[in-house]
Amino acid sequence: MTEAQIIKTLLNFIVADGATNDDFNALALQIFAYQFENNIPYQRFCRQRERTPRTVRSWRNIPAVPINGYKDLMLSCCDPESADRVFMTSGTTKDGIRGKCYHPTLSVYDTSMITAFRQRFMQEHPKLRMGILFPTEQTMPNSSLAHYLTLALNEFGADGSRYLLTDDGLDREALFSELDRAVQTGEPYALLGASFSFVHVMDDMERLGKAVSLPKGSRILDTGGFKGQSRELELDAFYDLLEARFGVPRDHCINMYGMTELSTEFYDWGNTTCPSVKSGPHWIRSQIVNPLTGDELPKGDKGVLVHCDLAHFNCVSSILTEDAGIEVDDGFLLLGRAEGAEAKGCSMAVDEFLKAAQG
Amino acid sequence: MKFDGKIVLVTGSSRGIGAAIAKAFAGEGATIIVNYVQNANAAEEVVSACKTAGGDAMAIQADVTSGEQIKALVDQTLMDFAKIDVVVNNAFKPYTFDPDNRKQFWDLEWQDYQDQLDGALFSTYTMCQAVLPALKKRTQGSIINMASDLVARPTIPYHDYTTAKSALIGFSRNLAMELGPLGIRVNCVAPGLVYPTDASRKTKERVKEMIIAQTPMRRIASPEDITGPVMFLASDWSRFMTGQTLYVDGGLVMK
Amino acid sequence: MVLKAGYLPGIDDDAVEWQTLTYDRDGHAIEVSVPLLSNEQMQDLSERIKEASRQHLKSMTVSDITATIDAAIARLLDRNDTYRQQAEEYLPLITGYDAEMIRLGLTGYLKTFRQSELRRFIAEDFGNPKILDEFQPLPKGGYGKAYGPDLLAHIWAGNVPGIPLWSLISGLLVKAGNIGKVPSAEPLMASWFARIIAETDPMLGQCLAVVWWKGGDVDREQALLNQADLVVAYGNNDTLHQIRDRTPITTRCLTYSHKVSFGMVSKAALDTGKAWDVAHQVAYDIVRYDQQGCYSPHVFFVEQGGAVTPQEFAQYIANELDCFEEKFPRRTLTIEEASGVAAWRQSEEMKSFSEENASVMGDAGGAWSVAYSEAEEDLAPSGLNRTAKVIAVKQLDDVPARIAPYRAFLQTVGIAAAPEELHRLAEMLGAVGVTRISALEHMTAPEAGWHHDGRFNLLDLVTMTEVERSAETAAEAFSDYVD
Repeated sequence: MTEAQIIKTLLNFIVADGATNDDFNALALQIFAYQFENNIPYQRFCRQRERTPRTVRSWRNIPAVPINGYKDLMLSCCDPESADRVFMTSGTTKDGIRGKCYHPTLSVYDTSMITAFRQRFMQEHPKLRMGILFPTEQTMPNSSLAHYLTLALNEFGADGSRYLLTDDGLDREALFSELDRAVQTGEPYALLGASFSFVHVMDDMERLGKAVSLPKGSRILDTGGFKGQSRELELDAFYDLLEARFGVPRDHCINMYGMTELSTEFYDWGNTTCPSVKSGPHWIRSQIVNPLTGDELPKGDKGVLVHCDLAHFNCVSSILTEDAGIEVDDGFLLLGRAEGAEAKGCSMAVDEFLKAAQG
Repeated sequence: MKFDGKIVLVTGSSRGIGAAIAKAFAGEGATIIVNYVQNANAAEEVVSACKTAGGDAMAIQADVTSGEQIKALVDQTLMDFAKIDVVVNNAFKPYTFDPDNRKQFWDLEWQDYQDQLDGALFSTYTMCQAVLPALKKRTQGSIINMASDLVARPTIPYHDYTTAKSALIGFSRNLAMELGPLGIRVNCVAPGLVYPTDASRKTKERVKEMIIAQTPMRRIASPEDITGPVMFLASDWSRFMTGQTLYVDGGLVMK
Repeated sequence: MVLKAGYLPGIDDDAVEWQTLTYDRDGHAIEVSVPLLSNEQMQDLSERIKEASRQHLKSMTVSDITATIDAAIARLLDRNDTYRQQAEEYLPLITGYDAEMIRLGLTGYLKTFRQSELRRFIAEDFGNPKILDEFQPLPKGGYGKAYGPDLLAHIWAGNVPGIPLWSLISGLLVKAGNIGKVPSAEPLMASWFARIIAETDPMLGQCLAVVWWKGGDVDREQALLNQADLVVAYGNNDTLHQIRDRTPITTRCLTYSHKVSFGMVSKAALDTGKAWDVAHQVAYDIVRYDQQGCYSPHVFFVEQGGAVTPQEFAQYIANELDCFEEKFPRRTLTIEEASGVAAWRQSEEMKSFSEENASVMGDAGGAWSVAYSEAEEDLAPSGLNRTAKVIAVKQLDDVPARIAPYRAFLQTVGIAAAPEELHRLAEMLGAVGVTRISALEHMTAPEAGWHHDGRFNLLDLVTMTEVERSAETAAEAFSDYVD
């Protein structure tokens, strides 16, 4: 298939309902063949894994690239120069190299985001007045999250929706006035942003003794965890705090799980209990695997998440994450990062060596 | 299935013993490279039989006495399948087993020997050289070379043919020695008279009766009788065997 | 089945809190109860050990001590002895290491503590071993005597069976009282040894104790550090840093941090006759205790130009590792260990896509992996647990410069090379911080009396008291025979 054919097929697939397992599998294999043919580093990777389009029959066996692969390999089917947009991973990893995801068009990404966001976050609301606790897309042109939030605001934000972060940080006055306005008017309000931004905002509110009770139907979307950018909170404590500060019940606090290396996001149905069950739309599937063998684990065993995201058609659809998880009915539980172990004896392990060698 | 996901290359497998071996592997889930030199239709028939049997297959034309063509065959296999698990060197120079019209030693020219050596030994040598880098990279693999029980018991002295097969056994033992430390096994299967095949079609009933009379199992081998030992040597069941020759002739030769 | 770890002379078992450690490997659950002392009990024990050390140990001769240790070791070597039988039965269950590997490993290791070897050990550090017993004349003039501390505290780490015996025996040899803290990963061997010592010589048994606390229990650790005259600690840099920080300034603290070791193979060893044998030796070093030791190799620098290429040599190693898996299967890895191996494998795989000839051998799900590269790669630890990297080099002489930046982490180098090469390389390796050079196949079994991390195991433990010549001379003036 050509790129144009893939894009057209995908757009139809995403908006259509009722895709069967076989439909997903067939398209996954077509996209795998496309990536195998047009992306030489990925082809080499597959050959090393001894799997080719000729031998792979199920999406479950498509070789999944470790997300670190984005740092070492140029994973793009299109000429990177011609890409419409490039999203980069955050540069906080130990070697400071940022992985790049090229998008020849954002049409698939956007359709994927809009379709799932409507189902999973907006639900009964066609539009909501929104406040965004994250920098704008202009400030962070290579951030997929910035693009995601801009899209949310443009597509689903009612009049008056706005960003609540400026270049100087939180626009506290604007935030408080938005919150107060919502309380006064009774119009449901949506607050969206990075998890760590919420922590900063709530710390600020605590200092000022501020708490509001947003109108019924209001919702919160947080994403990305704390990443050392704010103090680390237990998830239960975090959602208790959100409920206490904003008056949004935990079942209306949605956590989005996404990453630069995907073009589709996972959501939960609220965080009444943590960890919540995450699931994605019909064009993404996940497996829990043994990190060493890549073999799928029995349901209920703890392993590492592999995602097969058809919408991420230009790079690689199947990635091996560093996130630990457990498969449950209707999705998976996300259990944080899977860490390597230190040696049991006096031999040195890689992480310790890197830390020591860098002083 | 025993050979699920395994890639098996069988030379000269459009007909006869080769075709039977291909189909048997496919029945255990393997993907077969059906090599042939002339008969594309027959090869395609084997390919579809393999798929029906539950495996996968692809036909590739290549003359096993051409280094260039063999290399192209291996390259194409690796391109499509990324690895090779098993190689069965089955192809040989056409030879007519006709006891009544065989050449006696004083009728033979060196070229007759040379032709058979090329067919049995040079072809195997060429294939092994071509496939070895891929096997070494994985430090595993099984090579099976098809010999003949005539080597141990020349019931009819087909000088040129049997001498070449004898050389093949010596070749295989040396290769087994060299490749053992690299985790690659090399063994031979030595069938007795197999009927019917194109090569044995001219064998007279009288000769067959004579062989049957001396064979403990009291019959002649069919192509399907040969597949079991070949698959055994290809499998993990024989993982500690290398440099061996399995005689598959109903007990005619015992050693 | 509940086993008991720890050894507490003079303290009643009932007076102590016991905790239970559970080891569950491949369905064989086993429980070990370990003693957790209160701070008062730790202080009490420390004083008791110090007193016994002063009263009893200091008056023993080195020969008496080596004889006792020898008798204790003999029991651990005797396969009919109950302690030996317990070790063979339970250490595999606790550590997960293959039973046969432990059995052979214990024998090889314990042999290095027989009396003859102990004497060699002492002679390595003290030209004149009698200096531990009485004042001896010094070459510079005057007299000297070496004193071990009254209380030597050992903080051990890791699960390689028997490792704590090194420092414990060193302590006894210099007549130190000893309290050792065993790691949860393997709390038994040191405990058994202490009990055998006590059974062999009850008085000597009053001079050592084996305790436990959960790693990171700062409070308990501090209680011991406060009492010790000298501290020997093992662990990662973070752990050691904390221990050193908490050790009182007047107490010396000797630290042994995690190390990286590697191998070197000269083209002289790579002919078609010997290469296989060398690969076998290399694989053995990788397999022993699944690379958990500081002397375990991670990387092999292999010289080009031999009849067997470095790449083929890497393939030989791969096959040898495959064979060893039959003989000494790798222990079952935890999910964390598996993640470590996977991360290493994946990063090596990634390199192989951009690098000509680079490759990773071994199934992802298998029990070993060998990565191969011809690039100018630096030293880096492998993913442990039978993962190793073969790096082809033009000449071995280039290697020392490449490893020089890692001086602080270097320990053992296993070498296969011709004599003149060996000596030339030794000179260069020593200069960049390598402290031990061994043959391949011997990397994980240091010889008796080796200098761990290049230090003087015994000398580091003692203080010298010197009677200077001036004192002697001056004393003459006060003698009653003075003219």
